[in-house]
Amino acid sequence: MNVEVTNVSKKFGNFVALDNISINIPKGDIIALLGPSGCGKTTLLRIIAGLETPDSGVIKFFGEDLTNKQVKDRKVGFVFQHYALFRHMNVFENVAFGLRVRPRKIRPDKKTIHENVMRLISLVQLEGFVNRFPSELSGGQRQRVALARALAVEPTVLLLDEPFGALDAKVRKELRSWLRRLHDEIHVTSVFVTHDQDEALEVSDSIVIVNKGKIEQIGSPIEVCDNPVNPFVADFLSDVNRPLIKQKKHLFETINAPGQGI
Amino acid sequence: MVKKRIVQEPLWVKILLFFISGIFLSVFIALPLITIFQEALKSGIVVYLQTFTDPGVTSAIRLSLLTIVICVPINTFFGIFIAWLVTKYEFPGKRILITAIEVPFSISPVIAGLLFIFMFGAIGWFGTWLIDHGIKIVFAFPGIVLAVLFVSFPFVARELIPLMRVLGKDDEEAALTLGASGFQIFWKVTLPNIKWGLLYGIILTNARALGEFGAVSVVSGLVRGVTTTMPLYIDILYGEYMFRAAFAVASIMTFLALFTIIAKAVLEYFIAAQRKSMEVEIQL
Repeated sequence: MNVEVTNVSKKFGNFVALDNISINIPKGDIIALLGPSGCGKTTLLRIIAGLETPDSGVIKFFGEDLTNKQVKDRKVGFVFQHYALFRHMNVFENVAFGLRVRPRKIRPDKKTIHENVMRLISLVQLEGFVNRFPSELSGGQRQRVALARALAVEPTVLLLDEPFGALDAKVRKELRSWLRRLHDEIHVTSVFVTHDQDEALEVSDSIVIVNKGKIEQIGSPIEVCDNPVNPFVADFLSDVNRPLIKQKKHLFETINAPGQGI
Repeated sequence: MVKKRIVQEPLWVKILLFFISGIFLSVFIALPLITIFQEALKSGIVVYLQTFTDPGVTSAIRLSLLTIVICVPINTFFGIFIAWLVTKYEFPGKRILITAIEVPFSISPVIAGLLFIFMFGAIGWFGTWLIDHGIKIVFAFPGIVLAVLFVSFPFVARELIPLMRVLGKDDEEAALTLGASGFQIFWKVTLPNIKWGLLYGIILTNARALGEFGAVSVVSGLVRGVTTTMPLYIDILYGEYMFRAAFAVASIMTFLALFTIIAKAVLEYFIAAQRKSMEVEIQL
Protein backbone atom coordinates (compact mmCIF):
# COMPACT_ATOMS: atom_id res chain seq x y z
CA MET A 1 0.00 0.00 0.00
CA ASN A 2 2.05 2.86 -1.31
CA VAL A 3 1.77 6.10 -3.17
CA GLU A 4 1.98 4.96 -6.77
CA VAL A 5 2.59 7.04 -9.86
CA THR A 6 2.19 4.92 -12.97
CA ASN A 7 3.10 5.84 -16.57
CA VAL A 8 2.39 9.54 -16.13
CA SER A 9 2.97 11.81 -19.11
CA LYS A 10 2.32 15.53 -19.53
CA LYS A 11 2.85 17.93 -22.40
CA PHE A 12 2.57 21.72 -22.45
CA GLY A 13 1.99 22.48 -26.12
CA ASN A 14 4.97 20.84 -27.83
CA PHE A 15 7.08 20.73 -24.71
CA VAL A 16 7.24 17.31 -23.08
CA ALA A 17 7.29 18.00 -19.34
CA LEU A 18 6.93 14.38 -18.20
CA ASP A 19 7.53 11.29 -20.31
CA ASN A 20 6.06 8.06 -18.97
CA ILE A 21 7.07 8.44 -15.33
CA SER A 22 6.50 5.72 -12.73
CA ILE A 23 7.42 5.94 -9.05
CA ASN A 24 6.48 3.89 -6.03
CA ILE A 25 6.73 5.66 -2.68
CA PRO A 26 6.63 3.40 0.40
CA LYS A 27 4.32 4.59 3.17
CA GLY A 28 6.05 6.79 5.73
CA ASP A 29 9.08 7.51 3.55
CA ILE A 30 10.35 10.88 2.48
CA ILE A 31 11.60 11.01 -1.07
CA ALA A 32 13.25 13.75 -3.07
CA LEU A 33 12.56 14.63 -6.68
CA LEU A 34 15.94 15.96 -7.72
CA GLY A 35 16.87 17.50 -11.03
CA PRO A 36 17.97 20.64 -12.84
CA SER A 37 15.39 23.40 -13.23
CA GLY A 38 12.87 22.80 -15.99
CA CYS A 39 13.23 19.01 -15.75
CA GLY A 40 9.57 18.44 -14.87
CA LYS A 41 9.90 17.69 -11.17
CA THR A 42 7.53 20.43 -10.04
CA THR A 43 5.00 19.38 -12.68
CA LEU A 44 5.13 15.84 -11.31
CA LEU A 45 4.56 17.12 -7.78
CA ARG A 46 1.62 19.22 -8.94
CA ILE A 47 0.15 16.23 -10.74
CA ILE A 48 0.40 14.14 -7.56
CA ALA A 49 -1.38 16.98 -5.72
CA GLY A 50 -4.06 17.30 -8.38
CA LEU A 51 -3.15 20.90 -9.23
CA GLU A 52 -2.28 19.72 -12.73
CA THR A 53 -3.95 17.00 -14.80
CA PRO A 54 -1.74 14.37 -16.47
CA ASP A 55 -2.32 13.63 -20.18
CA SER A 56 -2.08 9.94 -19.34
CA GLY A 57 -1.17 7.73 -16.41
CA VAL A 58 -2.56 6.80 -13.02
CA ILE A 59 -2.07 8.23 -9.52
CA LYS A 60 -2.90 5.96 -6.59
CA PHE A 61 -2.67 6.71 -2.88
CA PHE A 62 -2.57 3.51 -0.84
CA GLY A 63 -4.59 1.50 -3.33
CA GLU A 64 -7.17 4.20 -4.07
CA ASP A 65 -7.21 5.54 -7.64
CA LEU A 66 -7.20 9.35 -7.41
CA THR A 67 -6.41 10.22 -11.02
CA ASN A 68 -9.80 11.81 -11.59
CA LYS A 69 -10.29 13.14 -8.08
CA GLN A 70 -10.13 16.86 -7.39
CA VAL A 71 -7.44 18.44 -5.26
CA LYS A 72 -9.66 18.87 -2.25
CA ASP A 73 -10.64 15.20 -2.19
CA ARG A 74 -7.06 13.95 -2.25
CA LYS A 75 -6.06 14.89 1.29
CA VAL A 76 -2.63 16.19 0.37
CA GLY A 77 -0.65 18.80 2.21
CA PHE A 78 1.17 21.16 -0.12
CA VAL A 79 4.00 23.48 0.85
CA PHE A 80 4.87 26.18 -1.69
CA GLN A 81 8.27 27.64 -2.44
CA HIS A 82 7.07 31.16 -1.68
CA TYR A 83 5.02 30.00 1.32
CA ALA A 84 1.67 31.25 -0.06
CA LEU A 85 0.56 32.22 3.43
CA PHE A 86 -2.66 34.19 3.66
CA ARG A 87 -1.28 37.63 4.41
CA HIS A 88 -4.42 39.00 6.03
CA MET A 89 -4.53 36.17 8.59
CA ASN A 90 -2.28 35.70 11.59
CA VAL A 91 -0.33 32.52 12.26
CA PHE A 92 -3.19 30.89 14.16
CA GLU A 93 -5.77 31.66 11.46
CA ASN A 94 -3.46 30.44 8.73
CA VAL A 95 -2.97 27.09 10.42
CA ALA A 96 -6.66 26.84 11.30
CA PHE A 97 -7.80 27.59 7.73
CA GLY A 98 -7.99 24.00 6.52
CA LEU A 99 -10.11 22.97 9.49
CA ARG A 100 -12.41 25.99 9.36
CA VAL A 101 -13.34 25.60 5.70
CA ARG A 102 -14.59 22.07 6.21
CA PRO A 103 -18.30 21.48 5.67
CA ARG A 104 -20.22 21.87 8.92
CA LYS A 105 -20.79 18.14 9.29
CA ILE A 106 -17.12 17.21 9.47
CA ARG A 107 -15.81 20.45 10.94
CA PRO A 108 -14.29 20.03 14.40
CA ASP A 109 -15.71 22.25 17.16
CA LYS A 110 -13.93 25.44 18.19
CA LYS A 111 -12.15 23.85 21.11
CA THR A 112 -10.78 20.97 19.03
CA ILE A 113 -9.62 23.36 16.31
CA HIS A 114 -7.86 25.47 18.92
CA GLU A 115 -6.14 22.44 20.46
CA ASN A 116 -5.06 21.05 17.08
CA VAL A 117 -3.74 24.37 15.87
CA MET A 118 -1.79 25.03 19.07
CA ARG A 119 -0.32 21.54 18.94
CA LEU A 120 0.89 22.11 15.37
CA ILE A 121 2.23 25.55 16.19
CA SER A 122 4.30 24.07 19.00
CA LEU A 123 5.40 21.26 16.68
CA VAL A 124 6.93 23.85 14.36
CA GLN A 125 8.25 25.77 17.36
CA LEU A 126 6.38 29.01 16.86
CA GLU A 127 4.53 29.22 20.18
CA GLY A 128 5.38 32.86 20.73
CA PHE A 129 4.19 33.92 17.28
CA VAL A 130 0.53 32.87 17.30
CA ASN A 131 -0.79 36.40 16.74
CA ARG A 132 1.83 37.55 14.28
CA PHE A 133 1.03 38.21 10.65
CA PRO A 134 3.14 36.67 7.86
CA SER A 135 4.73 40.06 7.12
CA GLU A 136 6.09 40.08 10.68
CA LEU A 137 7.90 36.73 10.33
CA SER A 138 11.25 35.73 8.83
CA GLY A 139 11.40 33.46 5.80
CA GLY A 140 12.19 30.36 7.82
CA GLN A 141 9.36 31.08 10.24
CA ARG A 142 6.95 31.57 7.37
CA GLN A 143 7.86 28.26 5.84
CA ARG A 144 7.28 26.58 9.19
CA VAL A 145 3.83 28.18 9.38
CA ALA A 146 3.15 26.89 5.87
CA LEU A 147 4.18 23.42 6.98
CA ALA A 148 1.95 23.53 10.07
CA ARG A 149 -0.92 24.76 7.91
CA ALA A 150 -0.45 21.85 5.48
CA LEU A 151 -0.26 19.34 8.34
CA ALA A 152 -3.44 20.67 9.98
CA VAL A 153 -5.67 18.85 7.49
CA GLU A 154 -3.97 15.56 8.45
CA PRO A 155 -2.78 14.85 4.93
CA THR A 156 -2.08 11.30 3.80
CA VAL A 157 0.74 12.66 1.65
CA LEU A 158 2.82 15.77 2.22
CA LEU A 159 4.15 17.50 -0.89
CA LEU A 160 6.82 20.18 -0.71
CA ASP A 161 7.78 22.28 -3.73
CA GLU A 162 11.33 23.60 -3.28
CA PRO A 163 10.45 24.28 0.35
CA PHE A 164 13.77 25.93 1.16
CA GLY A 165 14.38 27.50 -2.23
CA ALA A 166 13.57 31.03 -1.13
CA LEU A 167 15.68 30.95 2.04
CA ASP A 168 19.28 31.99 2.58
CA ALA A 169 21.94 29.30 2.91
CA LYS A 170 22.22 29.23 6.68
CA VAL A 171 18.49 29.07 7.43
CA ARG A 172 18.16 26.51 4.70
CA LYS A 173 20.62 24.14 6.35
CA GLU A 174 18.99 24.51 9.74
CA LEU A 175 15.55 23.99 8.36
CA ARG A 176 16.37 20.90 6.35
CA SER A 177 17.86 18.99 9.26
CA TRP A 178 14.90 20.15 11.30
CA LEU A 179 12.54 18.83 8.62
CA ARG A 180 14.32 15.46 8.67
CA ARG A 181 13.88 15.23 12.46
CA LEU A 182 10.27 16.31 12.19
CA HIS A 183 9.62 13.62 9.63
CA ASP A 184 11.18 11.00 11.90
CA GLU A 185 8.67 12.15 14.48
CA ILE A 186 5.44 12.26 12.44
CA HIS A 187 6.18 9.80 9.61
CA VAL A 188 3.86 11.22 7.01
CA THR A 189 4.63 10.01 3.50
CA SER A 190 6.38 12.98 1.89
CA VAL A 191 7.66 14.04 -1.50
CA PHE A 192 9.79 17.09 -1.90
CA VAL A 193 11.15 18.78 -4.96
CA THR A 194 14.60 20.27 -5.00
CA HIS A 195 17.44 21.16 -7.34
CA ASP A 196 19.93 21.11 -4.46
CA GLN A 197 21.83 17.81 -4.31
CA ASP A 198 22.96 18.22 -0.71
CA GLU A 199 19.41 18.90 0.38
CA ALA A 200 18.13 15.75 -1.32
CA LEU A 201 20.92 13.61 0.14
CA GLU A 202 20.48 14.87 3.67
CA VAL A 203 16.71 14.81 3.98
CA SER A 204 15.40 11.94 1.91
CA ASP A 205 15.12 8.17 2.30
CA SER A 206 15.39 7.78 -1.44
CA ILE A 207 16.07 10.05 -4.35
CA VAL A 208 14.43 10.20 -7.76
CA ILE A 209 16.73 11.91 -10.23
CA VAL A 210 14.76 13.53 -13.02
CA ASN A 211 16.08 15.01 -16.25
CA LYS A 212 14.15 16.29 -19.29
CA GLY A 213 10.92 14.69 -18.14
CA LYS A 214 12.43 11.25 -17.59
CA ILE A 215 13.67 9.39 -14.55
CA GLU A 216 17.41 8.78 -14.67
CA GLN A 217 17.78 6.83 -11.45
CA ILE A 218 15.91 5.95 -8.26
CA GLY A 219 17.76 4.87 -5.13
CA SER A 220 18.89 5.64 -1.62
CA PRO A 221 21.35 8.52 -1.22
CA ILE A 222 24.23 6.09 -0.90
CA GLU A 223 23.20 4.08 -3.95
CA VAL A 224 22.89 7.04 -6.27
CA CYS A 225 26.18 8.49 -5.10
CA ASP A 226 28.18 5.28 -5.16
CA ASN A 227 26.63 3.70 -8.24
CA PRO A 228 25.40 6.32 -10.65
CA VAL A 229 23.78 4.52 -13.57
CA ASN A 230 24.82 6.94 -16.28
CA PRO A 231 27.07 9.92 -16.95
CA PHE A 232 24.27 12.43 -16.30
CA VAL A 233 23.71 11.19 -12.74
CA ALA A 234 27.43 10.95 -12.10
CA ASP A 235 27.96 14.47 -13.35
CA PHE A 236 24.94 15.88 -11.55
CA LEU A 237 26.09 14.42 -8.23
CA SER A 238 29.79 15.04 -8.79
CA ASP A 239 30.11 18.02 -6.48
CA VAL A 240 27.96 16.86 -3.57
CA ASN A 241 29.06 17.14 -0.01
CA ARG A 242 29.57 13.43 0.65
CA PRO A 243 30.06 13.58 4.40
CA LEU A 244 26.40 14.65 4.61
CA ILE A 245 25.30 11.13 3.72
CA LYS A 246 27.71 9.48 6.10
CA GLN A 247 26.64 11.89 8.77
CA LYS A 248 23.10 10.67 8.48
CA LYS A 249 23.66 6.96 8.12
CA HIS A 250 26.59 6.54 10.50
CA LEU A 251 26.03 9.35 12.91
CA PHE A 252 27.84 7.78 15.86
CA GLU A 253 30.86 6.64 13.91
CA THR A 254 31.30 10.13 12.57
CA ILE A 255 31.29 11.55 16.03
CA ASN A 256 33.69 8.92 17.33
CA ALA A 257 36.08 9.04 14.41
CA PRO A 258 37.59 12.49 14.24
CA GLY A 259 39.49 11.64 11.04
CA GLN A 260 36.26 11.32 9.18
CA GLY A 261 34.90 14.65 10.42
CA ILE A 262 32.94 17.11 8.40
CA MET B 1 22.71 74.62 4.59
CA VAL B 2 25.38 72.28 5.84
CA LYS B 3 25.29 69.70 3.08
CA LYS B 4 24.93 70.74 -0.49
CA ARG B 5 24.24 68.17 -3.15
CA ILE B 6 26.37 68.50 -6.22
CA VAL B 7 23.48 68.19 -8.60
CA GLN B 8 21.18 70.78 -7.17
CA GLU B 9 19.29 73.42 -9.07
CA PRO B 10 19.67 76.96 -7.84
CA LEU B 11 17.01 78.17 -5.45
CA TRP B 12 15.40 80.52 -7.97
CA VAL B 13 14.57 77.56 -10.25
CA LYS B 14 12.69 75.91 -7.43
CA ILE B 15 10.79 79.08 -6.64
CA LEU B 16 9.96 79.64 -10.29
CA LEU B 17 8.66 76.08 -10.74
CA PHE B 18 6.64 76.40 -7.58
CA PHE B 19 5.04 79.62 -8.80
CA ILE B 20 4.28 78.37 -12.27
CA SER B 21 2.54 75.26 -10.98
CA GLY B 22 0.81 77.30 -8.30
CA ILE B 23 -0.60 79.73 -10.84
CA PHE B 24 -1.63 76.93 -13.16
CA LEU B 25 -3.45 75.05 -10.41
CA SER B 26 -5.27 78.12 -9.13
CA VAL B 27 -6.39 79.28 -12.58
CA PHE B 28 -7.55 75.91 -13.81
CA ILE B 29 -8.66 74.15 -10.65
CA ALA B 30 -9.07 76.34 -7.58
CA LEU B 31 -10.78 79.30 -9.23
CA PRO B 32 -13.41 77.26 -11.11
CA LEU B 33 -14.18 75.36 -7.91
CA ILE B 34 -14.63 78.58 -6.00
CA THR B 35 -16.76 79.99 -8.82
CA ILE B 36 -19.15 77.04 -8.61
CA PHE B 37 -19.86 77.60 -4.95
CA GLN B 38 -19.87 81.38 -5.26
CA GLU B 39 -22.43 81.31 -8.08
CA ALA B 40 -24.51 78.68 -6.31
CA LEU B 41 -24.64 80.71 -3.09
CA LYS B 42 -25.00 84.13 -4.71
CA SER B 43 -28.57 84.68 -3.50
CA GLY B 44 -27.98 83.19 -0.10
CA ILE B 45 -28.09 79.80 1.48
CA VAL B 46 -31.91 79.70 1.67
CA VAL B 47 -32.34 80.11 -2.07
CA TYR B 48 -29.54 77.60 -2.57
CA LEU B 49 -31.34 75.01 -0.47
CA GLN B 50 -34.67 75.80 -2.12
CA THR B 51 -33.21 74.70 -5.45
CA PHE B 52 -33.24 71.16 -4.16
CA THR B 53 -36.99 71.17 -3.65
CA ASP B 54 -37.51 71.80 -7.36
CA PRO B 55 -39.04 68.62 -8.83
CA GLY B 56 -36.73 68.75 -11.87
CA VAL B 57 -33.66 68.86 -9.64
CA THR B 58 -34.84 66.14 -7.27
CA SER B 59 -35.75 63.83 -10.12
CA ALA B 60 -32.32 64.41 -11.73
CA ILE B 61 -30.60 63.53 -8.47
CA ARG B 62 -32.83 60.49 -8.01
CA LEU B 63 -32.19 59.31 -11.56
CA SER B 64 -28.43 59.70 -11.20
CA LEU B 65 -28.40 57.81 -7.92
CA LEU B 66 -30.59 55.05 -9.31
CA THR B 67 -28.25 54.73 -12.29
CA ILE B 68 -25.16 54.26 -10.13
CA VAL B 69 -27.00 51.91 -7.79
CA ILE B 70 -27.64 49.66 -10.78
CA CYS B 71 -24.48 50.19 -12.81
CA VAL B 72 -21.73 50.14 -10.19
CA PRO B 73 -22.58 46.68 -8.74
CA ILE B 74 -22.99 45.19 -12.22
CA ASN B 75 -19.68 46.58 -13.42
CA THR B 76 -17.98 45.54 -10.19
CA PHE B 77 -19.22 42.00 -10.63
CA PHE B 78 -18.20 41.70 -14.27
CA GLY B 79 -14.92 43.52 -13.61
CA ILE B 80 -13.94 40.93 -10.99
CA PHE B 81 -15.25 38.18 -13.24
CA ILE B 82 -13.11 39.22 -16.21
CA ALA B 83 -10.01 39.94 -14.11
CA TRP B 84 -10.36 36.48 -12.58
CA LEU B 85 -10.77 34.85 -15.98
CA VAL B 86 -7.81 36.67 -17.48
CA THR B 87 -5.38 36.15 -14.60
CA LYS B 88 -6.21 32.64 -13.41
CA TYR B 89 -6.77 30.82 -16.70
CA GLU B 90 -5.00 30.32 -19.99
CA PHE B 91 -7.13 30.35 -23.13
CA PRO B 92 -6.82 31.38 -26.77
CA GLY B 93 -7.84 34.96 -27.51
CA LYS B 94 -6.86 36.18 -24.05
CA ARG B 95 -4.91 39.14 -25.39
CA ILE B 96 -7.81 40.20 -27.56
CA LEU B 97 -10.09 40.11 -24.55
CA ILE B 98 -7.69 42.26 -22.51
CA THR B 99 -7.56 44.79 -25.34
CA ALA B 100 -11.34 44.69 -25.74
CA ILE B 101 -11.76 45.76 -22.11
CA GLU B 102 -10.23 49.10 -23.08
CA VAL B 103 -12.62 49.77 -25.97
CA PRO B 104 -14.96 52.01 -23.94
CA PHE B 105 -11.96 54.23 -23.15
CA SER B 106 -10.89 54.67 -26.73
CA ILE B 107 -14.33 55.26 -28.23
CA SER B 108 -15.79 58.72 -27.92
CA PRO B 109 -18.77 58.65 -25.53
CA VAL B 110 -21.01 60.22 -28.18
CA ILE B 111 -20.29 57.33 -30.51
CA ALA B 112 -20.92 54.89 -27.66
CA GLY B 113 -24.34 56.51 -27.26
CA LEU B 114 -25.01 56.26 -30.99
CA LEU B 115 -24.12 52.56 -30.92
CA PHE B 116 -27.03 51.95 -28.60
CA ILE B 117 -29.34 54.01 -30.78
CA PHE B 118 -28.34 51.87 -33.77
CA MET B 119 -28.93 48.71 -31.79
CA PHE B 120 -32.08 49.47 -29.87
CA GLY B 121 -33.55 52.59 -31.53
CA ALA B 122 -36.57 52.57 -33.86
CA ILE B 123 -34.28 52.18 -36.89
CA GLY B 124 -31.90 49.82 -35.04
CA TRP B 125 -31.30 46.07 -35.34
CA PHE B 126 -33.69 45.15 -32.60
CA GLY B 127 -35.88 48.25 -33.07
CA THR B 128 -38.95 46.68 -34.66
CA TRP B 129 -38.94 43.73 -32.33
CA LEU B 130 -38.67 46.00 -29.31
CA ILE B 131 -41.51 48.23 -30.53
CA ASP B 132 -43.69 45.18 -31.20
CA HIS B 133 -43.17 44.02 -27.65
CA GLY B 134 -43.64 47.45 -26.16
CA ILE B 135 -40.14 47.68 -24.71
CA LYS B 136 -38.54 51.08 -24.61
CA ILE B 137 -34.78 51.22 -24.30
CA VAL B 138 -33.48 54.35 -25.97
CA PHE B 139 -34.88 57.68 -24.83
CA ALA B 140 -35.73 55.90 -21.59
CA PHE B 141 -34.09 54.77 -18.35
CA PRO B 142 -32.79 51.39 -19.67
CA GLY B 143 -30.87 53.23 -22.39
CA ILE B 144 -29.17 55.43 -19.80
CA VAL B 145 -28.20 52.38 -17.78
CA LEU B 146 -26.75 50.68 -20.87
CA ALA B 147 -24.76 53.75 -21.88
CA VAL B 148 -23.38 54.23 -18.38
CA LEU B 149 -22.55 50.53 -18.06
CA PHE B 150 -20.61 50.79 -21.31
CA VAL B 151 -18.53 53.85 -20.50
CA SER B 152 -17.76 52.90 -16.90
CA PHE B 153 -17.05 49.23 -17.48
CA PRO B 154 -13.22 49.10 -17.73
CA PHE B 155 -12.25 50.63 -14.38
CA VAL B 156 -12.58 47.62 -12.06
CA ALA B 157 -11.03 45.11 -14.46
CA ARG B 158 -8.19 47.50 -15.33
CA GLU B 159 -7.40 48.02 -11.68
CA LEU B 160 -7.57 44.33 -10.77
CA ILE B 161 -5.76 42.63 -13.66
CA PRO B 162 -2.26 43.93 -12.87
CA LEU B 163 -2.81 43.42 -9.13
CA MET B 164 -4.02 39.85 -9.52
CA ARG B 165 -1.14 39.11 -11.89
CA VAL B 166 1.35 40.12 -9.22
CA LEU B 167 -0.50 38.11 -6.58
CA GLY B 168 -0.36 34.97 -8.72
CA LYS B 169 -2.21 31.73 -8.12
CA ASP B 170 -0.29 30.40 -5.12
CA ASP B 171 -2.70 31.59 -2.42
CA GLU B 172 -5.71 30.14 -4.24
CA GLU B 173 -3.91 26.85 -4.85
CA ALA B 174 -2.87 26.67 -1.21
CA ALA B 175 -6.51 27.15 -0.18
CA LEU B 176 -7.53 24.51 -2.69
CA THR B 177 -5.15 21.90 -1.24
CA LEU B 178 -6.50 22.77 2.20
CA GLY B 179 -9.95 21.72 1.04
CA ALA B 180 -11.65 25.09 0.49
CA SER B 181 -14.48 25.34 -2.05
CA GLY B 182 -14.38 27.85 -4.90
CA PHE B 183 -16.75 30.14 -3.05
CA GLN B 184 -14.71 29.97 0.16
CA ILE B 185 -11.51 30.65 -1.76
CA PHE B 186 -13.01 33.78 -3.29
CA TRP B 187 -14.40 35.20 -0.04
CA LYS B 188 -11.63 34.20 2.34
CA VAL B 189 -8.53 34.42 0.18
CA THR B 190 -8.94 36.34 -3.08
CA LEU B 191 -11.22 39.15 -1.94
CA PRO B 192 -9.12 40.14 1.10
CA ASN B 193 -6.08 40.21 -1.18
CA ILE B 194 -7.65 42.50 -3.76
CA LYS B 195 -9.92 44.62 -1.58
CA TRP B 196 -8.05 47.94 -1.83
CA GLY B 197 -7.58 47.71 -5.57
CA LEU B 198 -11.20 46.69 -5.96
CA LEU B 199 -12.44 49.63 -3.91
CA TYR B 200 -10.28 51.95 -5.97
CA GLY B 201 -11.82 50.57 -9.14
CA ILE B 202 -15.32 50.95 -7.70
CA ILE B 203 -14.69 54.58 -6.75
CA LEU B 204 -13.51 55.37 -10.28
CA THR B 205 -16.46 53.50 -11.80
CA ASN B 206 -18.78 55.49 -9.58
CA ALA B 207 -17.21 58.81 -10.54
CA ARG B 208 -17.46 58.05 -14.23
CA ALA B 209 -21.02 56.73 -13.94
CA LEU B 210 -22.17 59.88 -12.16
CA GLY B 211 -20.37 62.30 -14.42
CA GLU B 212 -21.01 60.77 -17.85
CA PHE B 213 -22.51 63.33 -20.21
CA GLY B 214 -21.90 62.47 -23.87
CA ALA B 215 -23.15 58.89 -24.13
CA VAL B 216 -26.07 59.51 -21.82
CA SER B 217 -27.09 62.68 -23.65
CA VAL B 218 -27.39 60.75 -26.93
CA VAL B 219 -29.58 57.94 -25.59
CA SER B 220 -31.53 60.03 -23.11
CA GLY B 221 -33.66 62.06 -25.50
CA LEU B 222 -33.79 64.68 -22.73
CA VAL B 223 -37.27 63.89 -21.42
CA ARG B 224 -37.33 66.33 -18.55
CA GLY B 225 -37.70 64.73 -15.13
CA VAL B 226 -37.63 61.28 -16.72
CA THR B 227 -34.32 60.84 -18.53
CA THR B 228 -32.27 63.79 -17.34
CA THR B 229 -29.40 62.79 -15.08
CA MET B 230 -27.57 65.44 -13.06
CA PRO B 231 -25.01 66.43 -15.71
CA LEU B 232 -27.76 66.65 -18.37
CA TYR B 233 -29.98 68.69 -16.12
CA ILE B 234 -27.17 71.11 -15.36
CA ASP B 235 -26.79 71.62 -19.08
CA ILE B 236 -30.53 72.18 -19.54
CA LEU B 237 -30.72 74.67 -16.66
CA TYR B 238 -27.73 76.55 -17.97
CA GLY B 239 -29.23 76.66 -21.45
CA GLU B 240 -32.32 78.22 -20.00
CA TYR B 241 -30.32 80.91 -18.20
CA MET B 242 -31.11 79.46 -14.79
CA PHE B 243 -27.55 79.90 -13.65
CA ARG B 244 -28.12 79.65 -9.94
CA ALA B 245 -29.94 76.34 -10.16
CA ALA B 246 -27.34 75.04 -12.60
CA PHE B 247 -24.53 75.91 -10.22
CA ALA B 248 -26.43 74.50 -7.26
CA VAL B 249 -26.67 71.09 -8.92
CA ALA B 250 -23.08 71.45 -10.05
CA SER B 251 -22.06 72.04 -6.44
CA ILE B 252 -23.44 68.61 -5.45
CA MET B 253 -21.46 66.97 -8.20
CA THR B 254 -18.39 68.88 -7.05
CA PHE B 255 -18.85 67.57 -3.52
CA LEU B 256 -19.06 64.05 -4.88
CA ALA B 257 -15.92 64.63 -6.94
CA LEU B 258 -14.02 65.94 -3.92
CA PHE B 259 -15.13 62.93 -1.94
CA THR B 260 -13.90 60.71 -4.77
CA ILE B 261 -10.49 62.36 -4.76
CA ILE B 262 -10.09 61.98 -1.03
CA ALA B 263 -11.22 58.34 -1.14
CA LYS B 264 -8.77 57.76 -3.99
CA ALA B 265 -5.87 59.24 -2.05
CA VAL B 266 -6.68 57.13 1.02
CA LEU B 267 -6.94 53.97 -1.05
CA GLU B 268 -3.71 54.71 -2.89
CA TYR B 269 -2.00 54.84 0.48
CA PHE B 270 -3.31 51.39 1.41
CA ILE B 271 -2.44 49.93 -1.99
CA ALA B 272 1.12 51.27 -1.72
CA ALA B 273 1.39 49.71 1.75
CA GLN B 274 0.21 46.37 0.43
CA ARG B 275 2.64 46.51 -2.51
CA LYS B 276 5.46 47.23 -0.11
CA SER B 277 4.65 44.29 2.14
CA MET B 278 4.44 42.07 -0.92
CA GLU B 279 7.89 43.16 -2.08
CA VAL B 280 9.34 42.42 1.33
CA GLU B 281 7.72 39.02 1.20
CA ILE B 282 9.31 38.19 -2.13
CA GLN B 283 12.74 39.27 -0.93
CA LEU B 284 12.68 37.10 2.19
